[in-house]
Amino acid sequence: MNNVFNIKNLDLFYDDFQALKNIDLDVEKNKVTALIGPSGCGKSTFIRCLNRMNDLIPSCKIEGNIQYHKEDIYDDNYDVIGLRTDVGMVFQSPNPFPMSIYDNVAYGPRCAGNKNKDKLDKIVENSLKKAALYDEVKDRMNDSAMGLSGGQQQRLCIARAIAMEPEVILMDEPTSALDPIATLKIEELINDLKENYTIVIVTHSMQQAARISDKTAFFLMGELIEVDETDKIFTQPSNQKTEDYITGRFG
Amino acid sequence: MTEIKKQITRFKKKFNFNSKKEVIDFLVRTFFLLSTILSASFIVIIIIFIAQKGVIPFVTDNDGIGRVNLWKFLTGLDWLKGTAFKSNLYGVGFIIINTLYISFFALLISMPIGVLTALFIAKIAPKKIAEFLRTVVELLAAVPSIVYGLFGSGLILTLVYNLAKIFGVQSKGGNSVLAVILVLALMILPTITALSEVAIRSVNKDIEHGSLALGATRTQTNFKVVLSSAKSGIFSAAILGLGRALGEATAVSLVAGNARSGPSLAFFEITSTLTSTMLQGLKETIGIDYDIRFSVGLVLMVVILFSNLTLNFIKKKVGNVDVK
Repeated sequence: MNNVFNIKNLDLFYDDFQALKNIDLDVEKNKVTALIGPSGCGKSTFIRCLNRMNDLIPSCKIEGNIQYHKEDIYDDNYDVIGLRTDVGMVFQSPNPFPMSIYDNVAYGPRCAGNKNKDKLDKIVENSLKKAALYDEVKDRMNDSAMGLSGGQQQRLCIARAIAMEPEVILMDEPTSALDPIATLKIEELINDLKENYTIVIVTHSMQQAARISDKTAFFLMGELIEVDETDKIFTQPSNQKTEDYITGRFG
Repeated sequence: MTEIKKQITRFKKKFNFNSKKEVIDFLVRTFFLLSTILSASFIVIIIIFIAQKGVIPFVTDNDGIGRVNLWKFLTGLDWLKGTAFKSNLYGVGFIIINTLYISFFALLISMPIGVLTALFIAKIAPKKIAEFLRTVVELLAAVPSIVYGLFGSGLILTLVYNLAKIFGVQSKGGNSVLAVILVLALMILPTITALSEVAIRSVNKDIEHGSLALGATRTQTNFKVVLSSAKSGIFSAAILGLGRALGEATAVSLVAGNARSGPSLAFFEITSTLTSTMLQGLKETIGIDYDIRFSVGLVLMVVILFSNLTLNFIKKKVGNVDVK
C-alpha cells in the first residue's frame, strides 16, 4: 500500500458544532479518491483539512491526526506553505486571479521565488498543456483570464495548481458551476491527470464519482460511513446507508 | 362614484395599465425619477449661476475698467500685481499650476499611506482592532476642514518653519507649498483609507484562498492578488481624494501664504491655489474683483473635471479587470 495521506481519528469543530466525527481514511497514491454525500455532510470541510485551508476559519478546531507522508501536518512546526505547494487545490467556482492568463499560471512559481523568464515560460506552457487548455489560449496568453469561459477558467485553475508540480490535487466540487460540456472536459482531464497526480475530489454527483474515481468515500452527517473501491461502492456497498444514498432513497 | 371609476378606467386604458399593482409601480417609479431630477438639477443650477457671474469680466467692460482678456487670464503669471488697478491684472495660469502641483504631491503622500492602512485594517488587523481603526478613520473623515486648517496653522507651520531653518531657507513663518501639501495630505488620507478599505474588503475571498492554496504567503497574497483585485476601487479612492484636494479652500488658505505670482515650485515658497484665491477678501470687494472670483471658480471646476477624466482614463487602462 502506497498511501499519501493517513488520517486517524479526525474530529473537527466549528465552535461547538462538530462537523467531522472520528474520520479514518487513507488516500492512495496516483488514485482518484471521490468524496460523496449530501450537502452539509462535511466532505468539503474534510478536503480543506488536507492542505490546512481550514486554518483560515478562526472558529475551526481540529483534533486527531492527519499524516502526509508519515508527517503530522498539524504539528506546530509543520511547514504549511510547503504543504500547500505539494498539495494543490481547485475550488468550487473558478477563481482565476484578475491578471493575464500567463500571470495566473506563473503566479505560484513566482511566489515560490522562481524569477527565471525562460523557466517560467516552460512551466506555463507545460501546465497549460497538461490542463488541456494550451491550444485554446496560446495566442492570447497576455489577455485577462477573466475573459475566459467558466470551463476554461476552471482548467486554468487546474493549470495554476499543476504549475507548482504538486503531488496531490484536491478538487472541491470543481464542476458544480459548469455546464455539461465543460464538465465532461474536466472529467476527461482528471482521467489524464491521475497518471501523475493523486487526486481527491469532492463531488455532488454520484455519477461523476462513478465515472472518474478509483475509490469512493461516503460521508453522512460528519461521519465517514464507508470507503471502498468505487466499483464495489456502486454495486454492492456493505453499509445500508450507503446503499440508500446511491439508490437515491435520500440525499 | 361611478364617474370616478370611469375616470380611473380611462386612465388605466390610456397608460395601458392592467392592474392596481401596475399603477402603484408606475407611481413609485415616477417618484424616483422626480427625486433624481431634483438632485441632478442642483448641479445644473450651480453651474449656470457660477457661469453667469463668471463670464461677466470677459464680456462686459466692467464699469469702465475694461474687458478681461480670456487668454491672458488663463495663462497669466501674476494676480493683482501692478501699480494701478486695471483689468489686465488678473492671471490664473500660475495658480492652476500651483493647484495641480500641490494636489499631486498631497496624493503622492497619502495614497501609499492610505492604501497600506486600508490593507492593514481590512486584512491584517484582528477583528476588534480593525473595528476600532475603522471608526477612527471615519471620524477623521468627518473632521471639518477648518479644524484641519487650525491644526495646520498651529503645528504644521511651526514644523515647516523649523525645517526650513535647518535648510537655511527663510520661509515666511512656515506658510509654504510644503505646509499646504502636508495639510491636504492629512485631509485626504481618511477619504482614501476609508474607500480603499471598502474596495479591499470586497475582494472575493475565493481569489485570496486560491492564492493561499498555491503556497503563497499572506503578504504575497495581499500585495499581488488582493491589491490588484481592488485596483479599480483604489483608483476611485484616488479620484475622490484628488477632488477633495483640488477643492479644499479653508484649510489651504490658512497655510498657503497667498502668493501673487508664480508658479511656486520650491517647497518653502509661499503659494496660492484656485480656492484660496477665490476665498481671499471675497466679502470685502465688489465689481470686477468680485466677479472674477466666479471665473476662477469656473476654472477650478474645469480643472477638477479634467483631472477626474485623466484619472478615469488611467483607471480604465490599468484597472481593466472585472472582479466578481
